[in-house]
Amino acid sequence: MDLVDRYVKAVAKALPEKQREDISNELTEDIRSEIEDRERELGRELTEAEQEVLLKQRGNPLVLAARYRQDHRSVAFGRQIIGPVLYPFYIKVLSFNLGLTFFVIAVIFTALAVSGQKIGVGNIFSTCLLQLFIQSSVVTLIFSLVDKNLEKHPDHWQLNGISGGLTLQLKAEKEIRLRIERGAGHVSRFESVSIIIASALALAWMTELQNYPALILGPAAAFLKLAPIWYQVYFLIVLLTVAEIVRASINLVRPDWMLFRGIVRVIVNVGGLTVVYFLIRAGSWVTAAGSMAEGAGNSARTLEIINQCFLYGLVGAGIISAATIVLRTVQLIRQLRGQSGSGNVGATAKEGN
Amino acid sequence: MTPGTDNHDLFENLRLELRRGSLVLAVLAALRKEQYGYTLRKMLEEAGMAIDEGTLYPLLRRLETQGLLVSEWREEEKRKKRFYKLSDGGAVILKELLTEWKSINASLNGML
Repeated sequence: MDLVDRYVKAVAKALPEKQREDISNELTEDIRSEIEDRERELGRELTEAEQEVLLKQRGNPLVLAARYRQDHRSVAFGRQIIGPVLYPFYIKVLSFNLGLTFFVIAVIFTALAVSGQKIGVGNIFSTCLLQLFIQSSVVTLIFSLVDKNLEKHPDHWQLNGISGGLTLQLKAEKEIRLRIERGAGHVSRFESVSIIIASALALAWMTELQNYPALILGPAAAFLKLAPIWYQVYFLIVLLTVAEIVRASINLVRPDWMLFRGIVRVIVNVGGLTVVYFLIRAGSWVTAAGSMAEGAGNSARTLEIINQCFLYGLVGAGIISAATIVLRTVQLIRQLRGQSGSGNVGATAKEGN
Repeated sequence: MTPGTDNHDLFENLRLELRRGSLVLAVLAALRKEQYGYTLRKMLEEAGMAIDEGTLYPLLRRLETQGLLVSEWREEEKRKKRFYKLSDGGAVILKELLTEWKSINASLNGML
């Protein structure tokens, strides 16, 4: 897949499905016509770097796709928070998050009901409302930051990585190094700041979790409590989160330390997989508390169902974690090879900057 | 932000607003003769009405949806290209718009 195809594919991802093929074909045709025109002028084929310049002039694929969309809805409270470029993605992510959260809530309440626990409509309603508030606030905050970044730096995007804060997931047969501006040899400030904020929030949440298990179990905290294994791996989880904060802080000061980021990320991911391993090995993740501990209703059955859900979740997390380690290790090896090949990656990064 | 920058931004916004209406007229006029997107863009550029592709193609689609243009995919120089031309309804609208534009132009000339 050449540069043009990858650019068009990036635009197509943000287009309405109905028009996707038609617009993609026309856009491809326009870009190829422009390249041919330029080649006729120069009397030779354009190099990959020259093609990149042409594509950069066309702008961020997300912004271009938004121009084709007739739906220009946005989120605004007095002033615009999330613009039309990111709005469709915002809705998708929010719907997915809420769908998943409500599904988990439904499973927990069903399990409690099956086991004979008394559940009030008020309980269900307040849990759903709380989750709706938390999810909407967090997702809106993240997207508003991305939107602000996109507005401030509309030209900060690259075909093999980040586009206005969103990963375009474009797989390249060959790594492209954009020398026009900051590119692959640079950790963006936005990424570092986002990681620091998200990790700090996670840290605060984990600290409070010890005192308020309802933060993870919701109203089920009246009948359930976290199994001892969570307290055993707690220190390791905190350590990994702190390591990520330290790493992001260092990259904030030294954005060109790509190798450092690569190594720390692999170590943190291995640590994460280790945590998941210990958790899976434990076999039980919630235990009975309150009335359930006293044997009210079908307690054993409830615990079995909830622990089964935890098992599925942990196995899923383990698979994702293992896949991430493989991916990041491959990236790290490529990075190391690139460094030894060019002899001086730092120089490339600086040139990019 | 300095007053100079403010003025420049304001001018740029007003200029874009002024051009927006004229671009529709220019595109409709240019498509009295059938063309595909890239040649249309080049033609407009050479005529001093440069328009970037991110504005042109969505505009062409909008005009086609409104029934002012018709298009078809055809092969030319071994590549499939989408050719646009003014529809019958578009020709009527273009005529009316040109009359309106001439009238606005005459009024403005009288005032300036």
